[in-house]
Amino acid sequence: MSVPIMTPPSAPGYKRNVVIDWNNARTRAIPWLLASPLLVYMAVVYAMPVVAMLLRSLNDPSWSLDHYAALAGDAVFLKVFWITLGTSLAVTFGCVVLAYPVALALSRARSTAPLILMVILLPFWTSVLVRSYAWMVLLGRHGVINEALLALGLIDQPLKLLNTTMATQIAMIHILLPYMILPIANALRQIDPSLPRAAWGLGATPWGTFRQVIFPLSMPGVAAGMLLVFVLALGFYITPAMVGSSSDITLSMLIAQEVEQLNWGYAGTLSAVLLALALAMIGIGQLVPGVSNALRTTKS
Amino acid sequence: MEQALRFPARSGDDNRVRGASVSLTNLVKSYGGVTAVAGVSLDIRSGEFLTLLGPSGCGKTTTLMMIAGFESPSIGDIAIDGASVTAMPPYRRNIGMVFQNYALFPHLTAAENIGFSLKQRGVPKAERARLVSEALELVQLSTYGERYPRQLSGGQQQRVAVARAIVFKPRLLLMDEPLGALDKKLREDLQIEMRRLHAELGITFILVTHDQDEALIMSDRIAVMNEGKIAQIGRPVDLYDRPCNRFVAGFIGQSNFLPAVVCGLEGDVVVTKCQGVLVRAVTSQRPAIGAEVSVTIRPERLRFADSTTERASSANCLNVTVTEAVFAGERWRYVLSSDSGGSMVLNEASGAMIRRRAVGESAEITWSVADTILV
Amino acid sequence: MAQYPVHTINRRRAIRLITAGVGAPFVIRLAGAQPALPEQANVPDILKGSGEVRIANYGGATAEAQLKAWFEPFEKATGIKVRTFPTADTAKAKAMVETGNLEWDLVNLGRGDILKLMKVGDYFESIDYSLIDDGLGKEYRFGFGVEMNTFAQVMAYRTDAFKGAVPASWGDFWDTNRFPGDRAMYGIGAGGPPEIEFALMAAGVPADKLYPLDIEKALASYDKIRKSVAKWWTTGAQPPQMLSDREIVMTTVWNGRMSALQEQGVPAAICWNQGLLKRDAWGILKGAKNKANAMKLLAYSTMPIPQARFAMLIPYGNTNEGANEYIPPQRLAMLPSAPENKKQLVFSNVEWWIENRDIVQAKFNKWLLG
Repeated sequence: MSVPIMTPPSAPGYKRNVVIDWNNARTRAIPWLLASPLLVYMAVVYAMPVVAMLLRSLNDPSWSLDHYAALAGDAVFLKVFWITLGTSLAVTFGCVVLAYPVALALSRARSTAPLILMVILLPFWTSVLVRSYAWMVLLGRHGVINEALLALGLIDQPLKLLNTTMATQIAMIHILLPYMILPIANALRQIDPSLPRAAWGLGATPWGTFRQVIFPLSMPGVAAGMLLVFVLALGFYITPAMVGSSSDITLSMLIAQEVEQLNWGYAGTLSAVLLALALAMIGIGQLVPGVSNALRTTKS
Repeated sequence: MEQALRFPARSGDDNRVRGASVSLTNLVKSYGGVTAVAGVSLDIRSGEFLTLLGPSGCGKTTTLMMIAGFESPSIGDIAIDGASVTAMPPYRRNIGMVFQNYALFPHLTAAENIGFSLKQRGVPKAERARLVSEALELVQLSTYGERYPRQLSGGQQQRVAVARAIVFKPRLLLMDEPLGALDKKLREDLQIEMRRLHAELGITFILVTHDQDEALIMSDRIAVMNEGKIAQIGRPVDLYDRPCNRFVAGFIGQSNFLPAVVCGLEGDVVVTKCQGVLVRAVTSQRPAIGAEVSVTIRPERLRFADSTTERASSANCLNVTVTEAVFAGERWRYVLSSDSGGSMVLNEASGAMIRRRAVGESAEITWSVADTILV
Repeated sequence: MAQYPVHTINRRRAIRLITAGVGAPFVIRLAGAQPALPEQANVPDILKGSGEVRIANYGGATAEAQLKAWFEPFEKATGIKVRTFPTADTAKAKAMVETGNLEWDLVNLGRGDILKLMKVGDYFESIDYSLIDDGLGKEYRFGFGVEMNTFAQVMAYRTDAFKGAVPASWGDFWDTNRFPGDRAMYGIGAGGPPEIEFALMAAGVPADKLYPLDIEKALASYDKIRKSVAKWWTTGAQPPQMLSDREIVMTTVWNGRMSALQEQGVPAAICWNQGLLKRDAWGILKGAKNKANAMKLLAYSTMPIPQARFAMLIPYGNTNEGANEYIPPQRLAMLPSAPENKKQLVFSNVEWWIENRDIVQAKFNKWLLG
């Protein structure tokens, strides 16, 4: 006679044999207890500053909604808001296009998977600053790309690649690519390998299988990746400042400037806008079926 | 022409299509240094229900995957209706397949799952809808077409998987442990239903299973596989009554194996010395005198020889003591030990008409020479 | 004005005496061109003490230079321990004073930061100028702080770009015919206000008539150079980088960033003329626990020899002219405080900027995005 180690909460008859009773209030507290150091840490170093920043937007110098009212009439803010949004969108779509094939390769790879993963994660081990400098070296007027094109005789004059919006987007895509690859690869890896086989067996060509089975089933991963990349792209500062054009001014740069001028209230207000934008995106993401699941790293 | 070939035209209301014949010639599949299939040759007749039976890792699923085209053989050839398909991609083989976990597309409804193959073949929408609803009817799920797989029970999912595999009228249906995930009762119902389908469709079925009961109940022929090779192939009753080696005898049904020495030949009958008495057995081989062999007898073929029981001259007999008695529902299972110390199991139907034996009781057992096999 | 230099003859004389005579610098030249730092062998008793002083600065190379030039010798000479925090920040300073939980005594900010806070409350102690060396320039003194080093926002250019022609003014910077090529100028970011003064000087406004700045005129002037500005920089590292990469031929830059470039042999030079002289300042937090020690360190750091040490460690200018004699001439020539350079520079008017920055910035941002 085997003794059940765990029984569902709805089986009171087995209670005497139950090792972990999730009905018990004390045992239900265990996960919270285990998470409490992190929760305290997050509350102190993350939640408190965010709340303080939001408060500043309301009470600096005195309690009012003046800062928020000022937003609507601030032409610079409106323009920067749309630039930030547009850059984030462009970068997000660029990432999807470039990340998908890599994610597909990663999800298919067996012995080479750790190597591919390492190559993907390599950029994570260098700072954003260093990577932005690397792009300056590549894209510069006398940079690697221009010198190569000149040497090949394809151009007579160096092309203006650096300090352009395109440079900003290229560099941001490079930095954010892993955030797109990993959720997509994760979603692809979670697709039961017998599904594409079933599709083949039913007469679908490899392309038909991809289009009708693999791609639709990877959508939660794509949506999760887009969400991550978009939200992260909203907060970019160094990269557009270093490789972008004068019109690549992001909300973060505007915030930095307000902070430098000690306009804490308005800086807080701009930050609140950025935060609201990010939260709104996450909220929309939650509506797409499977996204919250795809953001998890393990199979559910 | 090709369209017609890939999607055979229907003739009136007759669902029957001639099944494909499949022939495997010396199939070998190795992964790195591991050989999964080590030379399988097999001819499957048109319309046959053939089962590949064996323990896990015996190569049966790999063989099936090679027939389907999901794996390509390292050596050997696969032909369907005499034409080699070894180099043909799976989507052109026109084979129906039911996967172990059904592999239903989770983002499509039951009807869309079933219609998938028709869509690939460019069947017009109206015709598609008609065929899908026919298929749903065939598996008794007419009202479930709009449900997603996750909204269906395991048995319903299995039936959708079957409908999906046959809707495009393939002439060959492959099934990889199709009932493995279901509970016993449902499995038994579906075994009968699969047989019905096989009879109704008339196409060739190849089933992979590790469940001997399932194989015995459903198949026309069973190929028992072990270590990448076919250990024996034959009708269920042949395999059961005449296993040609100890692996088959042990894998299909239960067997008592008693060591014996060959001491004479009487026509087709071999006389052996076993447990201190002479035991006669049948065999297709002609073992040499003095050879050490194993006498194999099914537990339910052993009987207690009561004083009333007629003792045929063709029967073997042995004196034993009951060492264990276990009640198993429709039968009693007795563990017996012979006077020479050999141990064996005897199954006897349970019921008021049959006397129960007590542990420690001495008895004589008897069995037919025809039920005695040498392996 | 009358409030800061409170004359206490004895102390001042004592300090002067030490810096000039008793504490004669012991200068040795190391092998190679790297001159040894002068040593402040002794300090007046008035600067000695006990306990500690807690200093907030910005970390990095400047903090390193402060440590070697000031904090280490100060500890040795006075017996007062120095603890540093690389987290100087106006908002933190404000919060500390408001909550009374002061983690710093002395903080490295700018005069603008200090004046801005003093406009909304009482956040800094007033400076006891009786302890301060006479050599510290009058223009670097204000009620609640002392400017202890200078730096300049100047024009820099590639010397190989114009066939020997040398740009000498903002007019030249704006002259894309005589000096063709792309430029970079400061845009927006955390690097201070936009370079309105340069635009005005390019438009012909004399250096001594700049303030109050005419923002409309400046933007009209900016319009003329806009096409040639390949990059509006946001961080101090960008201009030398772009000069080095030949991405641009001319730029505005902080002078401190140029010496490393010149040491690497990049053919680039600074044009000091019409540059802006900017400054860093010490402020003592109101109610600082070690107020007296903070004052002593502040006084020590503005004595000639410590000032010279700092200027030799990092190419920022000294605010005490007495330091010039301790700095090798070659080094002095690189500094905004060298008399030859300083007279060409325009003294940035912090007081005007703190009153007007918000409006100017908004107009400039709009122009930049337009």
